Amino acid sequence: MLIWADDTLRARPWVVAEGTTRRRLMQLWLLLVVFGLMYGAVMGSFGGVFGPRFLQVLYSALKVPLLLMATFALSLPSFFVVNTLFGLRDDWSGAIRALVATQAGLTIILSAFAPFTVLWYSSCANYRAAILFNAAMFGAASIVAQRLLRRFYAPLIARNRRHRLMLQGWLVIYAFVGIQMGWVLRPFIGSPDSPTQFFREGAWGNAYVKLAEIVMGLIGG
Amino acid sequence: MLKYFKQLDSILRGDATRLPSLADGRIAIPVGGLSTVIILLAVFYGFCMGSFNLMQGLESRARDTYMQIVASGVKLPLLFFLTLAVTLPSLYVFNALVGSRLSVLSVLRLLVASTGVIVAVLASLGPIVVFFALSTPNYPFMILLNVAMCTVSGLLGLAFLLRTMHRLVLIQEALDCPRLAASPADAALQPGGSHVPAADASPSGALDQVGTFTSRKAVRVFRIWTIVFALVGAQMSWVLRPFVGNPNMEFTWFRARESNFFQAVIHTLGNLFGL
Repeated sequence: MLIWADDTLRARPWVVAEGTTRRRLMQLWLLLVVFGLMYGAVMGSFGGVFGPRFLQVLYSALKVPLLLMATFALSLPSFFVVNTLFGLRDDWSGAIRALVATQAGLTIILSAFAPFTVLWYSSCANYRAAILFNAAMFGAASIVAQRLLRRFYAPLIARNRRHRLMLQGWLVIYAFVGIQMGWVLRPFIGSPDSPTQFFREGAWGNAYVKLAEIVMGLIGG
Repeated sequence: MLKYFKQLDSILRGDATRLPSLADGRIAIPVGGLSTVIILLAVFYGFCMGSFNLMQGLESRARDTYMQIVASGVKLPLLFFLTLAVTLPSLYVFNALVGSRLSVLSVLRLLVASTGVIVAVLASLGPIVVFFALSTPNYPFMILLNVAMCTVSGLLGLAFLLRTMHRLVLIQEALDCPRLAASPADAALQPGGSHVPAADASPSGALDQVGTFTSRKAVRVFRIWTIVFALVGAQMSWVLRPFVGNPNMEFTWFRARESNFFQAVIHTLGNLFGL
């Protein structure tokens, strides 16, 4: 398992090019779930890990893989149709493997950041600061994962330059859906003052509308 | 049924509009079968749009909510077929004016195929729309999201339409002047011809440009016409509104005649930002 993770980070050929797609995808999904659970559990440990707070750790652990997989599932159909339309259907399995491998890589990178999060939690008890710190970790991991994605996608782009356009489109859709998914799946960390729950009461809402309200509030004074 | 979906797939892959398939100057697309698929996919996207009111706390008006979903499912296929009906005559007339020899049936097939592309892209965006519809309490946001989705799929569909028309013009020229063996169109017909871009050697996609053009006039006419098609589609969607259903209003099949699509989009943008 750790060897798989290492291979993914080093973008070894088996990850995106060799073997049967189905088997490789299973391996990559497994990596994503295991490492996602790991970082999620650390993220949820803000309010403590014993007693009733243990449930929050469990929920947060489940939510990280759920966030990535649900976003991926929602964005996939349109990516498939548009790829077909641009005549790239023959490279489909390669494209999927590159995308799943990147997401698996993202969770591995996040897990590597988990010790930072533990250190932060043990040194600072501010809930808002904890949210910001996790946002920073996710941001940093995404930027690093971009690099991985570019490496996985390089052979496809070399074959047909249109893959670059497809990839940009994918990132836009994935980020668009992912941000809203993250908003819906709140709370990831769990405020120590409120009871533990899987979904927050009244958590339905739109991340973009909220953002626009905040921005307009700032401009309007 | 699966057979019809395979036909749609061959259009998306570009198999149905490759030069050899178009060699006799027409597209071999079964209008009836493809229309069935278009209706199914459009109904699916209609449901996605109409699902907005499910989570808006309208338990007391549950009937309105379900009626809106049904209405959107009915109206979306209607939108596409009405747009097709409105634009078909003008496309045919323009077509005849620039000297292309496409029959009415060929023009119809071309339009149905393009509609198929639009609907396929739209339906593939459906899951994203449902997700936002169920988690968003904001009506203007949903309208704009749907406008954006329809714009993306419409642009791809029109790109397909334009490319396929180019190819048909190319074939027509090759058929018209068989004596000019060196004409670019003729070369494009033969695999490995000098004028064929590299993309054609490998299987080319539905959106690839093939060969070069000799009749600039026809191309210009078609470009203008695709803009007409887009405008008609947008305004048709305005006539058939509401698709999403304002949670603060009673359910109606249609709204009163007022304003137009573009004014409404700007107005909705203003609403979203609270201006």
